[in-house]
Amino acid sequence: MASLASPPAALEVLHALGRVPSDACGALVRKHADGTVAGAMLVERGRVCWAMSQHYPLRLTDILVAEQNTLTHEQLNELFALCRRDHMPLGETLVARGLISLAVLHRALLRHTCEALDYLVRAEASPWAWVAHSGYGYHPMLTFSPVEVLAGVRAITNPALAARSLARLREVVRGDQRGFAIERTRSAKVPLAQVGCEAVDLVALGDLAVQADEVMAVAETVDVQVALAQLGELACASWVEHDVLFVLLCEGELAFNRLLSQVAAMTIKK
Amino acid sequence: MPLATIAERVEGCIVAAWVDIRTGAVLEQQPPRDDAFIAPALDAAIEVMRSRERPPRMVLLSARHVHIVQRTLHDPNRVLVVICERFANLGLAVSLVRMQLESEVA
Repeated sequence: MASLASPPAALEVLHALGRVPSDACGALVRKHADGTVAGAMLVERGRVCWAMSQHYPLRLTDILVAEQNTLTHEQLNELFALCRRDHMPLGETLVARGLISLAVLHRALLRHTCEALDYLVRAEASPWAWVAHSGYGYHPMLTFSPVEVLAGVRAITNPALAARSLARLREVVRGDQRGFAIERTRSAKVPLAQVGCEAVDLVALGDLAVQADEVMAVAETVDVQVALAQLGELACASWVEHDVLFVLLCEGELAFNRLLSQVAAMTIKK
Repeated sequence: MPLATIAERVEGCIVAAWVDIRTGAVLEQQPPRDDAFIAPALDAAIEVMRSRERPPRMVLLSARHVHIVQRTLHDPNRVLVVICERFANLGLAVSLVRMQLESEVA
């Protein structure tokens, strides 16, 4: 699929989500000039459940088959018809029948949501309208935090860089830690990749990124490679590799000392 | 603990200094030597800590050096900067700097 995204797509999603009250359920809808619906993003209590765009060419079943090569379109179409007839959720039914794992379903749904959102933002210029709803009842495991969605939309801009950043995070983030990566640009701090930051508040994550970026900008003038900071119980390490800012967060007993010893032994890739 | 003692106790210490981040002045420095590396390193520490939003304690690692930068509790503009060689025991160096500031408060 050709990539259409650039950083403003993620920013627009960020702004649209920022206007939704944290306890609200409903849809952010965009319409064509003739008043017909062009697409929507479903939101339930601060989490994104689903997104759709008339311009997005893939169906969830296409992604599921791509993600899990033991599945076929015929199997999925058959199950889809059954779920429709008996009013059963497709995703949960696939997992319950052992056809896919929850992790694969989660990944496929997130990819569909992010790509559909990207198309919706790119193709439409109309304002977002909020349509309140009593709740969609999505399984919480199959909905996404704003950080997950923004990182997913942002990654569409540069999938290779996002994949490298995610791989690097997976190398360094330990079990009790969290980390995220942000491309160093002048635009707002939207994560390119993250590990364990799903529940981190977007504003807090943005503040951490701004602080880390400011510190590294100065510190690099005297050849500093890694900066560590203590913020109460939280220790934070930041460094830059190939113009991507990495931030590693560690909490708990002796967090600062543990993180110091970890990053002191780390090789920064230049 | 006087600066000279910190400079002596921290293994591989290149410089220990009190700086004022508001004025950018180096208030006291041990050893009082002039080195092409020291002045820019102290300037960078001052610049890093100038923002009030910056956490009170930071450690900066370069390939060869460790910069330990810590604000005092009673005067947020007064910052202790200790720069030592990278081979030093980092945990010990950080603890010594922290102890120095805690003893000031006590």
